[in-house]
Amino acid sequence: MKRKTHPEAATDYALTSLDRRTFLSGGAAMTAGAAAALATFPAQRAIAAVPAATATATAAAATAKSDSTSKGSSTPSHQAPEATYYGAPDSDIPKVGLRWAFSATVFFADRVMIGSPAPRGYTSVGGGEVWGPRLQGRVLPASGADYYKNTFNTYYMYEASDGALIFIHNRGTMRRFQMPEPGKPLVPVASGGPPAPGDPPVWTRFRATPVFTAPDGPHAWMNNTVFVANCQRQDNPDHTVFTYYEVL
Amino acid sequence: MRDFVVPKTDTKIQGEVKLEYAFQLRAKFDPARRSRTPKGDFRYQDITSGDVHGERFNAAVYADSGGQYDTVRPDHIRDVDAHFILKAENGEWIYVEHVGYRRPDGYYRAIAYIDADTKGKYDWLNNTTFVVTAKESADEREVVFYYYVAN
Repeated sequence: MKRKTHPEAATDYALTSLDRRTFLSGGAAMTAGAAAALATFPAQRAIAAVPAATATATAAAATAKSDSTSKGSSTPSHQAPEATYYGAPDSDIPKVGLRWAFSATVFFADRVMIGSPAPRGYTSVGGGEVWGPRLQGRVLPASGADYYKNTFNTYYMYEASDGALIFIHNRGTMRRFQMPEPGKPLVPVASGGPPAPGDPPVWTRFRATPVFTAPDGPHAWMNNTVFVANCQRQDNPDHTVFTYYEVL
Repeated sequence: MRDFVVPKTDTKIQGEVKLEYAFQLRAKFDPARRSRTPKGDFRYQDITSGDVHGERFNAAVYADSGGQYDTVRPDHIRDVDAHFILKAENGEWIYVEHVGYRRPDGYYRAIAYIDADTKGKYDWLNNTTFVVTAKESADEREVVFYYYVAN
């Protein structure tokens, strides 16, 4: 298969030991990190309706399932989630609820910086999966990227298991704190400027707020719903797990 | 399209989000001015005054610094798009943006993106994700916005 890879992309490689070419062709499952993750994979993951287009992924998932089923798995991730409502001491303040809607694992391929007046980053979306109670499908391969300027700002496509194409424009914030100590409140780190070498390590709270454009039909609710996500960045391979909550 | 096989990794990760109430903004707007556009009815409301009350944040709306630039879609749902400026009690300037939905069923929810001075008292507003809900008066000219931090 022919792949376009930006020639500079190969230089920005510190984040992962994974070869991009191998990654894009699916060989990533062979990397040490992925193999280790595979070994601890929960069985229920394979429950997600996987579109026909990812048949190879399904086959791999089946392997994963048989591997992990033997170890026994407890809570299925697709049970109907409960909403949690948050309020304030003053009962006049309306409560706001959150309910898990779905999750997405998004794998990144190229990482490039453009030296524009405010530097523009480009982190391409290789592909990924969408699973959960209210949406299943995949991230359409090579359908977009994070085109960030200061903050996370992505545009790409989901393909739901029924074939629907859903556009996601996802903005995000990363707030830095000192490395948390158990039982102590988080201490924020001043947001000004990039971290300098020698700065103490920080812990990042990464939240994303997507706006979806979904076709009429079963996914139309996504056009009318505010979401907020917890985002967990992972290395080897370079990806992020987004847990999307509907704001009720 | 490029082929892509999803590496099998860690869909077991289910990160949490918790909301924590932070402050409220009582805002006054001029009557909405509407115009028909190919995308629906555009609805402009100038923000004329208002104030922010909260344990950690007190400020006033900078009059006429912006407003609501909503689009009422053919399905009667409003795509909320608001931009305005606040002046904190210590003189610092703060930018607020709302993106969300107001539905006929009473659901009014938005995400607020806020920019403040990184060297100022309100740096904590930067890089913080806020979930907003609102109560509107019958004439939609007085709106109270309630801001929750998405922790």
